[in-house]
Amino acid sequence: MTMSTTLRARALPRARKGIFLTRTLAPYLFVLPFVAVFVAFSVYPLLFTLRLSFTNWRGIGPAEWVGLGNYSYLLTNAGFWQGLANSGALWLLIVPAQMVLAVIVAVLLNDMKLRLRGFYRVAFIVPFVTPLVAIAQIWIVLFDQNYGAINSVLGLIGIPPIGWLTTSAWAKPTLALLFLWKTTGFIVIILLSGLQAIDDTLYEAADLDGASRSRQLWSITVPLLRRTLLFSVVLQTLAVFQMFAEPFVVTQGGPYGSTTTAGLYLYDNITRADLGTGAANSFLLVILVLALSLGFVRLLRPKD
Amino acid sequence: MNLTSRQGRPGPRRLIAVGTASALALVLAGCGPSIGAGGTASKSVLAVPTDKSPRGTITIWDRPGDLYKVFDATIKEFNKKYPNIKVKHQAVNIDAKLQNTLITGTGVPDGVFLDDAKVGGYSKYLWNLRDVLKPYKADIAPQKIDVNTVKGGIYGVPFDLDPGLLFYNQTALKNAGINASAITSYDKLIAAAKKYQQFKPGSKPIHLEQSPFLGQLQLEMYASQLGTSLADNNGKLQLNSPEYTRILTWLDSVQKQGLGTRAEYLSPSDVGALDARNEVFVPWAIWFTFAPQQQLKATQGEWRAMPLPAWQAGGARSGAMGGSSFVLPKNGKNSQLAWLFYEFLMYNKAGYSAVYGPNEVYPGGLNTSIPAYQPAANPKRPLFQPIESMGGQDVWATATAAGKQIPGGAPIPSWWAGAVPYLGNNIQKMLDGQLTPRQVIDQSSKDIQSNLIARQ
Amino acid sequence: MTTLATSPAARLPRGPRRRRARILRNAFLLLLTGLFLAPVGWALLSAFKTPVDIIRDPLVFDPTGFTLENFLRVLRDVPIASGFLTTAIVLVLKGGMTLFFAPLAGFAFAKYEFRGKSVIFGAVLVTLMLPTIVLIIPLLLEMKELGWVDTYQALVLPGSVDAFAIFWMRQVISAVPDELLDAARVDGCSEFGIFWRVVLPVIRPGVAGLGVLTIMNIYNDFVWPVVIANSDRMATLQVVLSTLAQNITGNRIGADYATVTGELLAASSLALVPLLVLFIALQKQFIAGILAGSVKG
Repeated sequence: MTMSTTLRARALPRARKGIFLTRTLAPYLFVLPFVAVFVAFSVYPLLFTLRLSFTNWRGIGPAEWVGLGNYSYLLTNAGFWQGLANSGALWLLIVPAQMVLAVIVAVLLNDMKLRLRGFYRVAFIVPFVTPLVAIAQIWIVLFDQNYGAINSVLGLIGIPPIGWLTTSAWAKPTLALLFLWKTTGFIVIILLSGLQAIDDTLYEAADLDGASRSRQLWSITVPLLRRTLLFSVVLQTLAVFQMFAEPFVVTQGGPYGSTTTAGLYLYDNITRADLGTGAANSFLLVILVLALSLGFVRLLRPKD
Repeated sequence: MNLTSRQGRPGPRRLIAVGTASALALVLAGCGPSIGAGGTASKSVLAVPTDKSPRGTITIWDRPGDLYKVFDATIKEFNKKYPNIKVKHQAVNIDAKLQNTLITGTGVPDGVFLDDAKVGGYSKYLWNLRDVLKPYKADIAPQKIDVNTVKGGIYGVPFDLDPGLLFYNQTALKNAGINASAITSYDKLIAAAKKYQQFKPGSKPIHLEQSPFLGQLQLEMYASQLGTSLADNNGKLQLNSPEYTRILTWLDSVQKQGLGTRAEYLSPSDVGALDARNEVFVPWAIWFTFAPQQQLKATQGEWRAMPLPAWQAGGARSGAMGGSSFVLPKNGKNSQLAWLFYEFLMYNKAGYSAVYGPNEVYPGGLNTSIPAYQPAANPKRPLFQPIESMGGQDVWATATAAGKQIPGGAPIPSWWAGAVPYLGNNIQKMLDGQLTPRQVIDQSSKDIQSNLIARQ
Repeated sequence: MTTLATSPAARLPRGPRRRRARILRNAFLLLLTGLFLAPVGWALLSAFKTPVDIIRDPLVFDPTGFTLENFLRVLRDVPIASGFLTTAIVLVLKGGMTLFFAPLAGFAFAKYEFRGKSVIFGAVLVTLMLPTIVLIIPLLLEMKELGWVDTYQALVLPGSVDAFAIFWMRQVISAVPDELLDAARVDGCSEFGIFWRVVLPVIRPGVAGLGVLTIMNIYNDFVWPVVIANSDRMATLQVVLSTLAQNITGNRIGADYATVTGELLAASSLALVPLLVLFIALQKQFIAGILAGSVKG
């Protein structure tokens, strides 16, 4: 559609000589602020990170060139791979479940006749706006093995106490739950925007054909929501692989490094002042995240 | 940028190529902020101040919270002696800020409150305090000098000594017919725990730490009792030793015999077990006193402290666990004045009395540690009061006496905190039954050597 | 722009089955929102308990024992008021930049063909994918070279033209009919004039939605501010909170664990309230903004 605009615009008579010039130049001027910020605060530091990644600089004194030493150290280091594996596992625990839940909630909230719609929308976004440090405290208290509310409730139905934050089997699901709880409201809102774009006549036709609501959800809503869903999946994939503040404040990466995400492992390198390794780690993470998103990105990019 | 010029009109592909090439060129030309900035001061030993009437402003960082308020209140006393030194006292998230501030060399404070375990890691940025501490060194607890020593230089003003004590529930033990004062060795502690378990089936009398960090810290308390630590003066790893084998074997046997409550220190689970009288022995640093004062409810008033059991007959009855010092960054503007501040707080009677004695924040005084400066830690001249919620016990006397027994010769390596993912975790795996004490030592030694020592 | 003449609910045939389904849906939503709200409710209520009670009996709430102790202590001991002020200043500057420049860039991406467009849009996507922590140290050193450590520039400029915002605005503006723009062009409107007088008014709801989201993001951002703000004067609200939290996240070894927990919950509650009020007040605009993102063309 954008294509056709351009063609049509070219065919328009030029009202003034300046217009064509301006029109060619205008988009560059419009994206200039972004490009300036991008070059100054992303490209420049990234280049610096690249340079740092070949040194053993520890924040003070001269930096020694170590070639690919940091990269080979990381790629042969069990902790680095465990971080990636943990992030991958968290992705599996979070993203599919979150998408299902968010689609259901968004579809329900999209109903104009739903009572308390305003209340629900606010309620789901509340965790998203709550400061993380407060959430950490809440989680530690609620998920305590012996005195937490969660186990107390489960105890009522005869489930023995679970070491939510103290066993490596449960710490990841507990952390995933925190992330799910914190961000689902935001995904719901994104999906709501996608739902609004779906033409209601499609549903009317389906109603006339006698299709059930669940069938409509599966055969109309989900396919038409594909782009929005894809976008949400990309966003959450990025968020999960960059995650470090959540495990940092709740579990510090434990027990046994089971919640040391790729992001937290990187953060640990930096706090140990091992800046060279941290930089190399940054690059490996960036490459991974880029590769992960590449497929999605192609689908989202505007046509040239 | 080429992107905005209309003349070149390169295609996207060429643009990418040009971009990549110029990026590469920039890298090769060494673009980016200069590496090696910050902390370039050539001198490294802080000179003794000679100014008769020093004046100026110093910036002091402390952890937020009660301790900040305690130090804040001492500034008044300090200014009585040095009226022309203005103290800018800030509550700062030190873990998050110190490293970055030192690397950039911008807004560097003159003095910082720091965990002993972290001093070594920052030593390159800090003043060597060898000369200014000379008059006091002989009177400071040897353990505290050791932990601040890196390659012969002293990089922190020792603040507090944190002797390990055996905290026990006196009421519970009395009911079980156990005489606490007879627990003079770790074997006797196991025997007492067994006896208590018979009296109260289901109880797990001895605290076993579940947090890897605190577990490793507690391991160092036991090691300090035996006069050893993870690395010697030259930074050589000495985990593979009879001492560590002995400690780990003991911890393992407590767990194997079902005598230990495994919980993170003062987590709800821990507090619950303590308050239910299921956990009645806590070998811990003096700062456990805060539990009966603030967290315990049912057993408040029942807790007492005594010296730790000994590892062998006649062995030391205490070891150090944790503790903090004050460090002076070389890039600070008024380091000498900051030294005067800490000198006053730590080594002047008015100063240390203001820190430890009764004040607005702690009406009974600061009773979670004792001074590292021996003349201030006199068992007969208490700075803090007997502790109400510990049945009025004179913990000062117990702690200062225990503090004197802590052996020296146990430096903290700069990578200590970085060892937690290895040693700290392996201790937990041992308590889980996955590793033997031998395996903990072998595996941790290997990991620490290759990931920490070799990459310094 | 098609209006929502036929709301989704209009499709529902009446009948007891539908009614039962509606009750079920409401029950499900109520249960779910209960789960979403309970933890925050716990924090808000706990802020009114004495510090020792928060630790000792985390799940007991006795209204007769409620106290303002934690709040008073926070207001007295923690620079929370100046934290609010700094956050407000950063919000206005950084939010203002994003809300002006992101739609502008989104307009360029949505409605113009120009050489290098895909490269620059690729840059937008790369920015979206760059983990914050990757850039922390180099950015910090850059700030040092610029002499910007502990300044508003450093708090505001990095990340000020948000990539997500550009991406979203491109979506929103794609939906604006091209005929509108062409008509304006025929009337002799300059390119910026088209953006300012034609596009912006049409997408105003979308920008409002973006505004709410931008405010939330900036308000809760703490990783970069913690690194770059040194003085109390430059400490944003989240910096103040994380400074408070350092004593209790990790190891419960501070003697004042209980007091700090109380202060932290009180401070977090104070921080949460303005955002909640804002969201409730602007809820209609926000949702309308989301509608705007998906106008059917």
